[in-house]
Amino acid sequence: MAETTTLSNPLREGIRIHSTPAPCAMVIFGASGDLTKRKLIPALFYLSRERMLPAGFSVIGCARTPATDDSFRENMSQAVKQYLKLSSDSDEFLESFSKGIYYIADDFNDAAAYSKLKALLDQLDHERGTSGNRLFYLATPPSFFPVIVKHLGAAGLAKPKPESWTRIIIEKPFGRDLASARELNRVVTEVFSEEQVYRIDHYLGKETVQNLLVFRYANGIFEPFWNRRYIDHVELSVAEELGVEGRGSYYEESGLMRDMIQNHVMQLLSLVTMEPPATFDATSVRDEKAKVLRAVRPLTGEQIDEFTVRAQYGEGWVGGKKVPAYRAEPKVSPTSVTETYAAAKFYIDNWRWADVPFYLRSGKRLAKRVSEISIQFRRVPHMLFKGAGSDGIEPNVLSVNVQPNEGISLKFCAKLPGASMQIRPVQMMFRYGESFGAPPPTAYETLLLDCMLGDATLFNRSDAVELSWELVDPILARWRELGPKGLATYAAGSWGPAEADALIERDGRQWQRV
Amino acid sequence: MAGIIEPVGIGEPRPVDVSNLEGELSALWRTAAEGPTAEGAVTRACTLTLLIYVESDEAAYEVTNLVAEVTRQNPCRAIIMMLEPEASSSGLEAWVSAHCHLPVAGEKQVCSEQITIRARGEAEQGLASVVLPLTVSGLPIFLWWRANSFSPPAYFDDILRVTQHVIVDSARFSPGTTHLQDLAAWLHKSAGKIQLTDLNWNRITPWRQLIAQCFDAPERRPYLDRLTRVRIEYEQDSARLVTQRAQGLLLSGWLASRLGWQYVKSERQEAVQPRTFYFKSANGMVTVERNLKRVDNACGVCFTIELIAEGASSARFSFSRGPDGKVVKTLAEVPGLLPIGRSVRVEVLGEAEILNEELKLGMRDQLYEEALSLVARMIGA
Repeated sequence: MAETTTLSNPLREGIRIHSTPAPCAMVIFGASGDLTKRKLIPALFYLSRERMLPAGFSVIGCARTPATDDSFRENMSQAVKQYLKLSSDSDEFLESFSKGIYYIADDFNDAAAYSKLKALLDQLDHERGTSGNRLFYLATPPSFFPVIVKHLGAAGLAKPKPESWTRIIIEKPFGRDLASARELNRVVTEVFSEEQVYRIDHYLGKETVQNLLVFRYANGIFEPFWNRRYIDHVELSVAEELGVEGRGSYYEESGLMRDMIQNHVMQLLSLVTMEPPATFDATSVRDEKAKVLRAVRPLTGEQIDEFTVRAQYGEGWVGGKKVPAYRAEPKVSPTSVTETYAAAKFYIDNWRWADVPFYLRSGKRLAKRVSEISIQFRRVPHMLFKGAGSDGIEPNVLSVNVQPNEGISLKFCAKLPGASMQIRPVQMMFRYGESFGAPPPTAYETLLLDCMLGDATLFNRSDAVELSWELVDPILARWRELGPKGLATYAAGSWGPAEADALIERDGRQWQRV
Repeated sequence: MAGIIEPVGIGEPRPVDVSNLEGELSALWRTAAEGPTAEGAVTRACTLTLLIYVESDEAAYEVTNLVAEVTRQNPCRAIIMMLEPEASSSGLEAWVSAHCHLPVAGEKQVCSEQITIRARGEAEQGLASVVLPLTVSGLPIFLWWRANSFSPPAYFDDILRVTQHVIVDSARFSPGTTHLQDLAAWLHKSAGKIQLTDLNWNRITPWRQLIAQCFDAPERRPYLDRLTRVRIEYEQDSARLVTQRAQGLLLSGWLASRLGWQYVKSERQEAVQPRTFYFKSANGMVTVERNLKRVDNACGVCFTIELIAEGASSARFSFSRGPDGKVVKTLAEVPGLLPIGRSVRVEVLGEAEILNEELKLGMRDQLYEEALSLVARMIGA
């Protein structure tokens, strides 16, 4: 029989009622930006309507743009309707959700703005029962991160009240190189403890990324093969059809390496290669991720020229439409040397992965949008079926498709029906859409809820961020030094530059067709 | 057999030889792979065996339609067992068919198989010998007992012995019967070997979630200890009266078992109203009233729950669904705070949707077992 205490809610017990966070107020800095209206507010509305947020949950939007509570509510309601494609029968839910939305128009470089924020948060504690729980979300351009963090600290908003929690989510990019990432970590951890900081990478909220851990550690048959004895090499491909989509000035500063490899691809790499954590909690999982990133061999000097490829797209055709070259995109320099494609080969110096190459590639304006992890196993040691022809014996490949068709497939060989011994590769597939029917939650729904529940497993810790930068920084420095020399080109809509093919072909291998 | 959904691209369900059902299924899939519309791109998917017990042709027809929906989210081998023990003739007949779902662009067509077995007269004694070899090895077996009572005959023992999960629906149990007590007794006898679940318990999960959410904040938790009154109100004269009655009982049983209330007695306050239950909590008496409310055009979706803590620091938490059947309005009135209200979605789900959720869950639900056990005491007293 359950015992009612002031510490536990006995009605929460059981297997059916999912955890919902304690009542809280979420403060979004950069509330007039795209991320807020496209992703954050629609995700919060969905969570609220589906009963995954508590009554009294409140949102405070903060930005310079002049607006009132009412006009901000109206804008956010429109955004929810637009991005969730809601019908009019959702109006009642929207109205109910909107009642918990507030707006502060102010300059967040100014300490006075934080006094207003503090007063409103205290008011919501009393009026809406948010219990002193606060979640700050930095959705501003990265240059504002330090100033907002410092002001939050100075206003006493970073320190949780007794029996309450205060957390902060920081959007990517977390720094633009190792030095700036370290500096930002220093500033943030001067004000917040590491346990309060949630560095978000929406890739980690994707169902397949989480399923990768389940696949590895909830199945007994794969882990014994997950090492250098059986795996020939691993490929990580993150391809986009889209170009820079009007974000030319951002991309000129960033480039593909910072935008994709340093965060998304390195995160995938660490999940594929990490050792089994002792428990499935934030500390254990993130310890293992950091440990393996520490074991990745950094590229130095001329090795960078040999093990990496950078390229920029020229004009071409994507989805039947002619698209311009990168240098012809708006707000892009006609002499730009910013990479829109990068490929690299890394090794991991530990017992599990010694001598196994990891080929990473990512690019914009490629043939299709797909993110896939391909694990190629070693070839059979001896060819038993002499008549089958070596072409028929392809190595086994385990493919984890992160997007768009989330799933896992295994390629293996089978005999063609008939008298002769003809062998062909076939695929055994698991697709989320086919096996479970129901669509998975979006990455932001997953991650926002996790943060409110205090689960940091799918967020980046400072050491992992810095370790990623340690690997990427020397490459960026070398590319900067080389300038236009060594920058390859590829036609938009292709699978990238020939130099990337050469990178893997030099080792007697080929990129998987993803 | 008339009425079975026409499978996409695989042709009519066909009567087959009961002694060669596996062979007939293989032939079905060969046809699917070679068929002109399927173009060989058919994926046969299976995550479990779903045994379904029904008692009439009409029920088998309804279930066939539900299975077509269920297999979208839970690809399975469905085996419908239609029993007609009173039939004058005796025999076993079977049909095989497939449920396929049109693929989205770039995906393969996914199909699941269905076997329907009709047992007449004394041939029902041989049902297990046909069904057991058809269960898919290595995958869980669910038995969905879709009837007005749960009373498996002795020849079902062999089937129950391999079944991990039994699903019933107390919304189908006739009022004024002892079916809930019988179910609790059977569960007790099974001694944890089979996991029992109730589609009606699933229907009240969102309500339980909303109630639980009200007491998550530390400052609200003490009100759970101070509850003195629970009011559950549902529609009179609606077709879903039996469903809502059972829901009210299960909610009462859940609250009482979770909060450690000791059952004391029940009394009928008014002739037309259900009995009120009395419990003893650590702080005094708690009454659980159930009220029937007359609603124009009753459609069985209106449902209200109120939790009230009376006394010096009184509080009230209410949850109410109106006739639109989607929106639940919640209101928390607690001293020192403004009343906090909101609207959330709690739709009345169809049978297939609920079944899908239960098949995905597939775990023992101890809370249900405890609530059911207490309900059996409450209505048996």
